Amino acid sequence: MSRIIELFPFITILLLLIFGAFLTPLIKKKSSIVRTNIAINIITMMMNLVTLVYVNNYGTFIFKFGHYGSPFGIIFHIGPVEVAIAMMFSFVITMVSWYSFYSIEKEIEEKRVGFYYILNSLLLASLLGIVYTYDVFNGYVFLELSTLAACGIIIVKDKKENIKAAIKYLMLSTLGSGLVLMGIAFIYSISGHLSMEYIHEAIVASSLAKENLLLISIVLFSIGLGIKSAMFPMHVWLPDAHTTAPSPSSAILSGLVIKAPVIFLIKIYYVVYGFEFVNSSRILQLMLIFGGTGMIMGSLFARRQKYLKRLIAYSSVAQMGYIFFGIGLGNELGLIMAIYHILAHGLTKSSLFLSAGSFIEQTGFKKIEDFKGIGKEMPVTLGIFTLSALSLIGIPVLPGFISKWNLALASIDSGMIYLLIVILLSSLLNAVYYFPIIINGYFGEDNLDGKVFKSKSKPIKELIPVILLTLAMIAIGFMSGPVIEFIRSGIYM
Amino acid sequence: MLMVQNSYIEVGAIILFGIGFMILLLNNNMIKKIIGMNIMDTSIFLLFISIGYIHGKEAPIIVDGEINAMGYVNPIPSGLMLTGIVVAVSVTGLMLALTIKLYEKYGTIELDEIMNMRSD
Repeated sequence: MSRIIELFPFITILLLLIFGAFLTPLIKKKSSIVRTNIAINIITMMMNLVTLVYVNNYGTFIFKFGHYGSPFGIIFHIGPVEVAIAMMFSFVITMVSWYSFYSIEKEIEEKRVGFYYILNSLLLASLLGIVYTYDVFNGYVFLELSTLAACGIIIVKDKKENIKAAIKYLMLSTLGSGLVLMGIAFIYSISGHLSMEYIHEAIVASSLAKENLLLISIVLFSIGLGIKSAMFPMHVWLPDAHTTAPSPSSAILSGLVIKAPVIFLIKIYYVVYGFEFVNSSRILQLMLIFGGTGMIMGSLFARRQKYLKRLIAYSSVAQMGYIFFGIGLGNELGLIMAIYHILAHGLTKSSLFLSAGSFIEQTGFKKIEDFKGIGKEMPVTLGIFTLSALSLIGIPVLPGFISKWNLALASIDSGMIYLLIVILLSSLLNAVYYFPIIINGYFGEDNLDGKVFKSKSKPIKELIPVILLTLAMIAIGFMSGPVIEFIRSGIYM
Repeated sequence: MLMVQNSYIEVGAIILFGIGFMILLLNNNMIKKIIGMNIMDTSIFLLFISIGYIHGKEAPIIVDGEINAMGYVNPIPSGLMLTGIVVAVSVTGLMLALTIKLYEKYGTIELDEIMNMRSD
């Protein structure tokens, strides 16, 4: 039995790629494409759950393709961090496909609905591949695949702005992957390997002689993957892409697509280069500066926005800042919190985008000022929005607070107490732009004037996926102790 | 200077990379941007393959059943770059398709003109 479970990560990717993305286009009936893809997503989620339990009980295992071991073949390393992230990814995608089952036809043309689901499967497969792989070139190929699929779910709406945003995204993304490939070329010329562990051995054996080459390659990787995951100065593509995409796509783009390159970057730092080199090369200080400025500037940009989805997109930039900040602290707690924040933010931001999407869908408005009094018309949806926003602001028990608290502890650990100001300031700024939406939504005589209670509310069955996402978010906030311990058992440092 | 002479392929690849990078970033015409992207990708392929090339050795194809690992260049970079070329072709294809769409929607492929258009 255990041998079969060790095949599961491979089977999920194969299932998504072959059945989800390759064979379903052959089906003629649109509704069966949708149903097949949702079924595949659910199977993937179940398999990932089984793998999660298996790894929790029996520890890390390695999947070898075709039974070829590490230097010659490609391997998947399935440890606690990988399964936790994979579980989150497949859960969010399943919930988003469930949500879009009811509402995607209102945003995109009917003949494209099939494409949307196919691209979702392709995207999930490539993201899982990035998370699992221990081979740098394999990671690059999956990275490119995820970029193309992500572009696909932006342009599936086929409006003017979508094309423009997708071109911007694709252009910068190509730039990023060019830099990553250049980094791989440099690192291959030093070590002669592509497998992460063997590169590490070769680097340790010859690090002093090739220090400049290593430095160039680590900067190339950081900038390249930083562009793909919207690190602060390279975030310019993100607001356009995430705003113009259909709301379920925005949830996926903001929750998952920008997270996978971060995992790849963490692996590159700690598995390929190793802690000693990364710590001595000062690249982490760069991450800290970019992350810290992102946390503040992202929020400052978000405060100025007039459109709801654009505000949430800029908030993503700020939240990515937290993740890079955690990596940049350079101690174990910081790295754990970066990974925990990936989980927390993935769940939070997707439910935030879905609830914002249902406001827009039900009312037809896009600007924030038009959403006054929305709490009377759509109380449940605004409740979900409020919970997610509170998590991002950092109200205790919710996951946003847990990661902020621990990031604060980690920055005290690393001896840089002045970083607390950055965390505090960023939290306050988050509150500054999320609270007005909530307060104007629920309270105020003028705001609620003329609004009919629950008049625009969605049927509760269409909201179940969003509610489940929110419950999962609250759950990982409540169970943060076990989750953090689980991540700690598989951290790369 | 001697270093440049000895590794002129690498130097050429880096210069090409810079050229492609700047065209991709600074040009406003979509087609030129795509050309720049292709120059950039090709320069990386050149660099990668030059890593695997050993002067005076043959292509790694076994002829007449004669197997001697020392006689051949490293085949792995070439193999990797086949994948790289496939990726670059698919990205170029998508980008060209998007350019057609862009022209249909906006009537131009100059990005600065598009940015100046007021979007509502």
